[in-house]
Amino acid sequence: MSIVTVQLGQCGNQIGFEVFDALYNDSHCPQGLCSKRENEVYQESCKERFFSEEENGVPVARAVLVDMEPKVINQTLSKAAQSGQWKYGQHSCFCQKQGSGNNWAYGYSVHGPRHEEPIMNLIQKEVEKCDCLSGFFIIMSMAGGTGSGLGAFITQNLQDQYSNALKMNQIIWPYGTGEVIVQNYNSILTLSHLYRSSDALLVHENDAVHKICAKLMNIKQISFRDINQVLAHQLGSVFQPTYSMEGSYHYRRNPLGDLMESLVPHPEFKMLGIRNIPQMCENSLAYSTFTWTGLLKHLRQMLISNSKMEEGINWQVRPPLSGLPPLGKVSLNRELHFNTSIANLVILRGKDVHSADLGGFKDPELYTSWLAPVNAFSAWKTQRAFRKYEKSAALVSNSQFLLKPLDTIVGKAWNMFASKAYIHQYTKFGIEEEDFLDSFTLLEQVVASYCNV
Amino acid sequence: MGRRRRRVDREAAVGPLPEAIATLSRTLPAGPSPEIFRRAKFDRPEAAPALWRLLFHVLSLLSANGASASAAQEAQVRMVKSELRSQGYPRRALAQLPEDGSQGSRELLLALAWLLARGPLLERLLAQTRVPLGDEIPLFEGVSLVPLECDALARPSPSAPHVEADGPMDIRHLQWLMGKLLFQWRKLITSQQEQCALLGKIHTYTRGCHSDRSLGHLSVAETELLRDAEGGQQLLRRLERENARLEAALQWRCRELVFWRWMDTVLGTCPPEASHPTFLPRIPERGTGELELVARELQALQEELRGAVESRRAAWEARVGGWGPEWNAVQWASWEAVGHELAALQQAWEPGGAAAQPHGPCRLVKSDAGASRGPGLRAAQVIGVLRSREACLEAVLCQLQRQCRQELAKLAGALPGLIWILPSGH
Repeated sequence: MSIVTVQLGQCGNQIGFEVFDALYNDSHCPQGLCSKRENEVYQESCKERFFSEEENGVPVARAVLVDMEPKVINQTLSKAAQSGQWKYGQHSCFCQKQGSGNNWAYGYSVHGPRHEEPIMNLIQKEVEKCDCLSGFFIIMSMAGGTGSGLGAFITQNLQDQYSNALKMNQIIWPYGTGEVIVQNYNSILTLSHLYRSSDALLVHENDAVHKICAKLMNIKQISFRDINQVLAHQLGSVFQPTYSMEGSYHYRRNPLGDLMESLVPHPEFKMLGIRNIPQMCENSLAYSTFTWTGLLKHLRQMLISNSKMEEGINWQVRPPLSGLPPLGKVSLNRELHFNTSIANLVILRGKDVHSADLGGFKDPELYTSWLAPVNAFSAWKTQRAFRKYEKSAALVSNSQFLLKPLDTIVGKAWNMFASKAYIHQYTKFGIEEEDFLDSFTLLEQVVASYCNV
Repeated sequence: MGRRRRRVDREAAVGPLPEAIATLSRTLPAGPSPEIFRRAKFDRPEAAPALWRLLFHVLSLLSANGASASAAQEAQVRMVKSELRSQGYPRRALAQLPEDGSQGSRELLLALAWLLARGPLLERLLAQTRVPLGDEIPLFEGVSLVPLECDALARPSPSAPHVEADGPMDIRHLQWLMGKLLFQWRKLITSQQEQCALLGKIHTYTRGCHSDRSLGHLSVAETELLRDAEGGQQLLRRLERENARLEAALQWRCRELVFWRWMDTVLGTCPPEASHPTFLPRIPERGTGELELVARELQALQEELRGAVESRRAAWEARVGGWGPEWNAVQWASWEAVGHELAALQQAWEPGGAAAQPHGPCRLVKSDAGASRGPGLRAAQVIGVLRSREACLEAVLCQLQRQCRQELAKLAGALPGLIWILPSGH
């Protein structure tokens, strides 16, 4: 089954390229630590999902590139062509001459309807190339104009036209100290619209990934490319093939469907985050050895203490003792220590994967009172190593991890909205105060839901 | 008396009794030897285990959820008892047999005969264990759809965690399960679509390969044979076994009369049950003359009714006729809608309605758009029937939802101080 990726705006296109590059490189990595036959099946499975084969043998990414400015798209296309290993389809991109100037309303209400037909046609052509479409992977920023405004519009259209296909939006959460003054407006509009039309929101926080680059990868001058490569690594570690079930050597047919079924069935809880372990620069990898016990112990503590990387984990955080009132009831102003999960998915790749003990993630205290671990926890495995990591683990988690950032963004946007700042830039293009109010209502409901798990 | 009857049997029969029983045994999956049947007539305990096993096998093949054959002896016995009871088996003696499966061979023999006599048991068993060679789609199975649905609703789900005495369940748990169900539904649709796409590919790529011109292309199983010779041998063996069973079934048809006469004697040897069989619907035995009288009366009433309706309709149409063509269009549309709905309803409710359609699995064949219309069913026809059934099921769903809503409203009304807002839209 195949996934069609829609890359939107500068951010979406740059990340999209890195994702396909990471997927291709991993599946052709010589150090897979498994038999030749198994490696071939793995490659085949990855290719079916993300690439279609062209006549001259070069895989073509199942992707549609959309931006309102030509610069980034041209760069992306040529980078892919230069790799010589895979490329984008000749007629799979759509671009215009003029961007959205960070105005969400412009992307949503002007660019969207104006270019709806050619963009949806491109997507349809890509869908027709698939034997079977599992769903869409929509990569976009949250706080900008084109990616987020147009992205929300396109997602809504996909929901109308392909209601049975799954839709996962990968969204980039802006830096807390972003320089775009209206980023909080854009963010709440994006989030609230996606909450209505998408099945899952996979969120990456720029701040967190930046820290990973600085602390774990030892990069001094961090560029967007570095950040995007970390993102791509994380996504690859989730969506590369895994066995369909314990003891089976067949690869999962519909990973997007399986992931959503185990993590986001509840319509009020759609926010997902990824954590990876280990994550380091390739030079250090050769000198490191890992055990499953150690990796999983760290990963569990990363989850419950809500840290995004293995460095600086707060080991003091413990699950709340049963009998005490749940932490969700505590006011948001107080520091939330324990990160309660709604559902978790652990993905293990590498040597001796069957011996890994996942008992630590099946502890009922990690989860809400209304969902037992048997419903809330699932695990995917494969013996095939990911990239050059002999053993690696990824955790996709539907938890309270975004509660604070979300509450902050909604609060800041509300303060600006209360003084009617910059509202005219939105009403000018048809996004009315009523739409803002709807967005606030929806997101406050989401905050409340996550708070009272 | 028994002896005299048996002598008559021998004269009328095509072959002797053991042979008839042997053909029956060969037709049944894992059928025991004729000797077991003979001993069962005398209710000998050593025949009991084999017959419990046989009935378990037969009933689990027939029931949709297919209980595992590895179930323990007691579980098998319980399953046989409950399955027979749910099918309306009238004899109480069976239900009172001990659960260790050590006794009751005669009762089991009677139960088997009851199953055989009641319906197309052998046909269904043979259909269940058939080796499919072509790509098949099931057509119009499960005639009485509506009762089936209600049955499924009434039955408790096999695994219902958290419903124990923990007190009230968190609504979020239900929402979660509901969401899971919706995702599974979407996944199912996707995999169905994938299967169709791949089937289409095989049919296109193997066009002209089949020796049977009317088919034109290979099926999945046939294509698999080309790739895997060992699998071909296995398939051949399975087909041979199936042929043997089909032959046995044909012979059984010729010889079953002997068996039934013998079964009469079996019934004669067992004590009559105190209570009358109350489960089976019985046709009241009335004089045919009385029936004819009623039929004539009914016909006369229908005529009268038709006359009354026609005169009223004519009067109404005359009054409405002047309202213009728009009104005519509306009238026509509502006529049509009512007609569709009626047809769909009839199809679902009447056992005969669905019987007019071909039953069971059909072989899926892709033919050129312009190809001559051979025998068989067009996809468009099937889609049409499925559409009308979908409409019918939706009507049932709406009705059930309405009932639930009324029930909820009633419950909410019983709680003072609670405001109940009905969901809008539906």
